[in-house]
Amino acid sequence: MEALVELDNVSKSYEEKAAVHDLSLKIEAGSMFGLLGPNGAGKTSTIRMMIGITLPDAGKVTLFGKPFGNAALKRVGYLPEERGLYKKMKVIDQLVFLAELRGLGALEAKRRAKQWCEKLQIADSIDKKTEELSKGMQQKIQFIATLLHDPELIIMDEPFSGLDPVNAMLLQDTLLELKKNGNAVLFSTHRMDQVEKLCDSICLINRGEAVLAGGMREVKSRYERNRVIVQFEGNDAFLQHPAIAESKSYAGHAEIKLKPHADAQDLLKTAAATAIITKFELVEPSLEEIFIETVGGRADA
Amino acid sequence: MPDGLLRNTLLIAKREYLERVRSRVFRITTLLVPLAMGGLALLGGLSGRKLEGVQNLAILSNDAELAQQVKVALYDGTFAPKLVEVYAPAGSADLAQVRGQVASHQIGGYLTVETVQGEAEPEVTWISGASINLVGKAQMESAVRSALIRKQLAARGVPEDEVSGLMKEVQLDTKQLKNGAVVKSDSERSFLGAYVLILVLYASVLIYGINVARSVVEEKTSRIFEVLLSTASSDSLMLGKLLGVGAVGLTQMGIWVGLVVFYAGSAMAATQGIHGLGSLGITRAELGFFGIFFVGGFFLYSALAAALGSSVSGEQEVQQFSFILISPLVVSVVLLPYVLGNPNSTGAVILSLLPPFTPIIMYMRICTQMPPAWQVWLSVALLAAAVWGMVWLAARIYRVGVLMYGKRATLPEMLRWLRYS
Repeated sequence: MEALVELDNVSKSYEEKAAVHDLSLKIEAGSMFGLLGPNGAGKTSTIRMMIGITLPDAGKVTLFGKPFGNAALKRVGYLPEERGLYKKMKVIDQLVFLAELRGLGALEAKRRAKQWCEKLQIADSIDKKTEELSKGMQQKIQFIATLLHDPELIIMDEPFSGLDPVNAMLLQDTLLELKKNGNAVLFSTHRMDQVEKLCDSICLINRGEAVLAGGMREVKSRYERNRVIVQFEGNDAFLQHPAIAESKSYAGHAEIKLKPHADAQDLLKTAAATAIITKFELVEPSLEEIFIETVGGRADA
Repeated sequence: MPDGLLRNTLLIAKREYLERVRSRVFRITTLLVPLAMGGLALLGGLSGRKLEGVQNLAILSNDAELAQQVKVALYDGTFAPKLVEVYAPAGSADLAQVRGQVASHQIGGYLTVETVQGEAEPEVTWISGASINLVGKAQMESAVRSALIRKQLAARGVPEDEVSGLMKEVQLDTKQLKNGAVVKSDSERSFLGAYVLILVLYASVLIYGINVARSVVEEKTSRIFEVLLSTASSDSLMLGKLLGVGAVGLTQMGIWVGLVVFYAGSAMAATQGIHGLGSLGITRAELGFFGIFFVGGFFLYSALAAALGSSVSGEQEVQQFSFILISPLVVSVVLLPYVLGNPNSTGAVILSLLPPFTPIIMYMRICTQMPPAWQVWLSVALLAAAVWGMVWLAARIYRVGVLMYGKRATLPEMLRWLRYS
């Protein structure tokens, strides 16, 4: 499949600090891509280079199969991390203006804006001034503004920050729907639980360098299913089993990390001999654990 | 023009224009400024009427002849009083009475003229009821001076009517050699024309230039500009902003000018000797140049405001740089008398070619004595180039502003950022 965006050994530094170093990644149509990393890792710098807000010091950015050009921006929807709206402007005027800037006609822009407002349950506010709206509502409007021109590539920097769970879910569902329709979605976040559910592929960056990249399944398969969750009644002496690298024990609940290539079945037998086991689950590491393991104590924040 | 630049520029201009014209501030200022101007004109009229000599006064003297001559000279002077009472020789009872009259505002003041034996000059004192009246002082000085001459002439046997004839004021007719023809001198009009331009430019730079800066700062602080920059180039953002705010200014000015034209043609103005704009003595060419230099000056200063706005982080800082913004205008005003006196000196020519000073200084030169055509068009070209350069710079600084958070950039920092972006 053709890549919509491709970064090829891209580097960028500000003052003395290197923000992005020798980073390569590729986003394909109809996929959801998660750009992960701790605060200050270089996520925003990477995104800005994709859409030409800043230019890389070295390396190549390809957008829709061509070197970066302004014309391509009409096919991109970008929601920056720090986003704003004109406070005094009416919601509908604002949406129409932003859509017109991206090449839509005024009438079509208005029609679509109304449709989207309906869909995201803010149709009542369409004639209000932006400053009269709550922060969450404003975020929905920014979200709509990003999508009005039906961009093939949707780039969102920390789209979920500040949203309540209901609205976060609404946004997630919308993004999934767009993906199903063949749009490519890239978003950055430091919330791993969302990435795990949503993304087809990820790139984890730390201090401007990619430390982990690839398809979600493939990344995860690189890690062993070496986590065990046990629920039990009785003696917890089985936690001394030689296969266990470390464990946390709560009342009747233990979280265990096994040694590499350890035999989980043998642990189960030992446990069952001394306690009543109500649950014994062998799980793959969560992305969060992989993240912490990979970034370790090296993260800045 | 690159793809979409024109379309985006117009879209941005349209938004800027509509949002502003619809705002309450626009309606209020459109209405209030003419009212304030009318009030000012009224005040000016009142204080203008004060420019008159002392109406009623007394002369106290030990020299009856000289006192009589002063009285005649006062009546002959530019500011003739209504009534002059002479007490000569004056006693202390007269002095007390006159003082009483000053205190009760019956007379404006009294003049004491004492001739001293053996001295050619008399001792003259003007005691006024008002603190300072420059006209009154000049009125007394010239009256005493001419009275002394009258007295000398009379002493040498010159008849009374001849003395009066000699002392008559000269009517000086001023004409000017302008563009090869002797015309009625209009140095006052040149001054007036330039001052009107300064006033209009000054007001619009302060109102609309600061508006441009505010609008830039608003986009920066609300951080909508990162969204804008992801689709539109900073050039079209800046250009659109200037055009939009400029159009707002023109709309407002249009309304005001319309009011003035309406007033000038009205019956009320006719009673004040104004019959249409033509009687204000403005030629069509001057009006044309006024337009060119006003628009050029407005865009140059607005673009400067945009550049300054792009380099600060908050609304409060906009106030601080409004001085930087208007200082070239202030310098132009200070230099005006020099240019008026030497419109073709090297200094005036150079000044009129420097874009920040061009609008006022070149316009002034055109009004006094038409400079060579190449100078005029060169100044217009330089002004246009400066506007373009300033827009370019403002656009770069605006763009770089995305990367700055909560602090004002220093100049070297900005130059570095320019390279990074």
